[in-house]
Amino acid sequence: MADDGTASNRRDPIKSSVGNVAGQRRRQQAVTVAKERRELLVRAKRLCRVGTNGDVEDACVDNEMMIDEDQPILEAQASKAVEELKSAVQYQGKGAMQKMVIALRELRRLLSKSEFPPVEAALSAGAIPLLVQCLSFGSPDEQLLESAWCLTNIAAGKPEETKALLPALPLLIAHLGEKSSAPVAEQCAWAIGNVAGEGEDLRNVLLSQGALLPLARMIFPDKSSTVRTAAWALSNLIKGPEPKAAAQLVKVDGIMDAILRHFKKSDEVTATEIAWIIVYLSALSDIATSMLVKGGILQLLLERLATSKSLQLLIPVLRSVGNFVAVDPKAILTILIREQNTEESIVGVLAKCLRSEHRVLKKEAAWVLSNIAAGSIEHKRMIHSTEVMSLLLRLLSTSPFDIRKEVAYVLGNLCVESAEGGDTKPRIIQDHLVSIVRGGCLPGFIELVRSPDIEAARLGLQFIELVLRGIPNGEGPKLVEGEDGIDAMERFQFHENEELRVMANSLVDKYFGEDYGIDE
Amino acid sequence: MAMGMAVDTVGELAFPVWNPIRRRFPPDSPFFASGNVERELLAKQVALDLTEDEINHLQIIVETESRRISCPIAGCPERLKSLDHFEDHYNARHTASCSVCSRVYPTSRLLSIHISEAHDSFFQAKVARGYDMYECLVEGCGLKFKTYKARHRHLVDKHKFPTTFEFFKRTQLSKKRREKLQRQHVSKLKHKEDKEEASSDAKEVEDKASVDGLVSALSTLTTADTTPSNVSFGRRHGRGLTFVPRSVHREKRTEYSSAPGPTN
Repeated sequence: MADDGTASNRRDPIKSSVGNVAGQRRRQQAVTVAKERRELLVRAKRLCRVGTNGDVEDACVDNEMMIDEDQPILEAQASKAVEELKSAVQYQGKGAMQKMVIALRELRRLLSKSEFPPVEAALSAGAIPLLVQCLSFGSPDEQLLESAWCLTNIAAGKPEETKALLPALPLLIAHLGEKSSAPVAEQCAWAIGNVAGEGEDLRNVLLSQGALLPLARMIFPDKSSTVRTAAWALSNLIKGPEPKAAAQLVKVDGIMDAILRHFKKSDEVTATEIAWIIVYLSALSDIATSMLVKGGILQLLLERLATSKSLQLLIPVLRSVGNFVAVDPKAILTILIREQNTEESIVGVLAKCLRSEHRVLKKEAAWVLSNIAAGSIEHKRMIHSTEVMSLLLRLLSTSPFDIRKEVAYVLGNLCVESAEGGDTKPRIIQDHLVSIVRGGCLPGFIELVRSPDIEAARLGLQFIELVLRGIPNGEGPKLVEGEDGIDAMERFQFHENEELRVMANSLVDKYFGEDYGIDE
Repeated sequence: MAMGMAVDTVGELAFPVWNPIRRRFPPDSPFFASGNVERELLAKQVALDLTEDEINHLQIIVETESRRISCPIAGCPERLKSLDHFEDHYNARHTASCSVCSRVYPTSRLLSIHISEAHDSFFQAKVARGYDMYECLVEGCGLKFKTYKARHRHLVDKHKFPTTFEFFKRTQLSKKRREKLQRQHVSKLKHKEDKEEASSDAKEVEDKASVDGLVSALSTLTTADTTPSNVSFGRRHGRGLTFVPRSVHREKRTEYSSAPGPTN
């Protein structure tokens, strides 16, 4: 929407010292980058800059980051490094080990420093077979670590680059075993996480090669950083959309306990990755869902939602709650209501998310509320009687479109009893409808009617029908007219969607026909 | 009071009333896309040192690239980048409004058809003499009919319009609503005129190339009340009152408000 240049224009123009120019250019490029590079940023893969053994990449400081112009130089250096590695591998004499490690380290540095590492150059020079050789059993830890690190960053790029890791997978998986040193296992897990993040095909390859079990076992101990990386890799591995990996995970002995334990006790960063595992389990496996619920996950989720300020953590936690509620609201809500206290009541916690400034939280919280509101009368009353109502009404008028749509679902669901059986027309809950309309929701719904989004327009028309039919004393039509509802509905005469045309026309015909307004 | 009827029939078709249902989405659903993007951008923020602005910007780019909005007006090929763009497009292209009766049409062609059929005695004269004057509303069809009803039948049979569709609605708009519409219309025109040069009738007649030009040229020849839709009402610009057929005029007696300012 906005011009690509405006982001950098907002920066303070006075700060133009040399060191900052590079930083500025780099930042500018980060935003104006080509589409494929942008995709790299939002892909589920992560570049490794800090070694798992604590080795900080020396050139990792901001203003020493290379900018695009240096790319050809970088690529040339990468090719050279691979050549060095080749000769080191072939070298049989004294100090061979040392040579290999030095060559690996050089390649690793080149692949870690810049924003867009010279992966293609390294691959064309033949890096993969060499790195695979360096992974052979019995190699010293440092060698294993450096090769796994190189492979990690090669896999963090474009799809073809990630796929290039195929020959290395069996060895990477093997080094996940409990006999490996922790930093080595973790680095291998990271590489595998990148491969899993690429796509379903690679996930299937990893599963068939037995990656799931050793990865899952890495979650058992208490060591934070290993658990964190392994959990992230695991979440990439089970994300589906096919449920078979999730189903396999559930069967691992003791895994559910480990997940619950870590979610309850860990720091926020680790809990975040565990939460993503919970997201996928709750979406893909019914068995996992019931085991987690039995293990008390719901209360833990609400606690985290109530107390955490980290957006990274809140997103998967909220989504997990949403998944649980979407599967079986009655059972879930019974448990939640039973264990309720004011700070951590589900509605209170969702209200907190609605008040947040983050778009994702608002949208998904509204989604969860809409599912609760689709439940029994008690559930509707539970929502309707709280301060959440004023939040929702405000959001309906002021927030971005996707949030407004979800809020519309909540409000509409609150006004109608869920139909029992296919035949009965769902009953309007008049006092809810009246209070919500009085709260000023009509302009928001009419706005949705004007939107080009078919689903939103449909929602708007359906709500208008409720108002026209359900507001007492026949006041509905006047209210709708007062907010330009007729105008909005007349737009549909030439709309390409037939269902909406018919819906709009039928409302106008029925409620604003020839006799309408004649008394005035 | 629970409704006894199973289905609310309006015309021959049932309105799909609101029914609360649970909505469940699979993990790869586009519904969750922005949350997933957020996850990755946050994770990489440390490494790349993107500011919050840049993250938001990236979010927007990623989302809008995949989500262009197609204009839903039948026959319009536009695909817009965002809701705001859509609103602008809609207001610019699909709100041709009749200066006489304030009805709004999504294309200037339909507006001109309306003006001919509803406000042009010349048109009515030709109808009376048996000419095929009622055009099919679907652009490109080209067929014409002797009566409004015949055309309606054609629209339903050939082009699948709903039977309840009425091109010329006989809805009696309430006084208040008409007032409001006119105020809005005037302010929209004022807004437009602030941007473009005020076009005079003479200019309109000269500009024969545009359809609007043709319509206005034609209408200046008639004694009817039609005026080109983009000329404002009289009083404001001191051009004198536009001609208005007596029937409509009677109802609008007190309508011309001199109140400035938009009402929306």
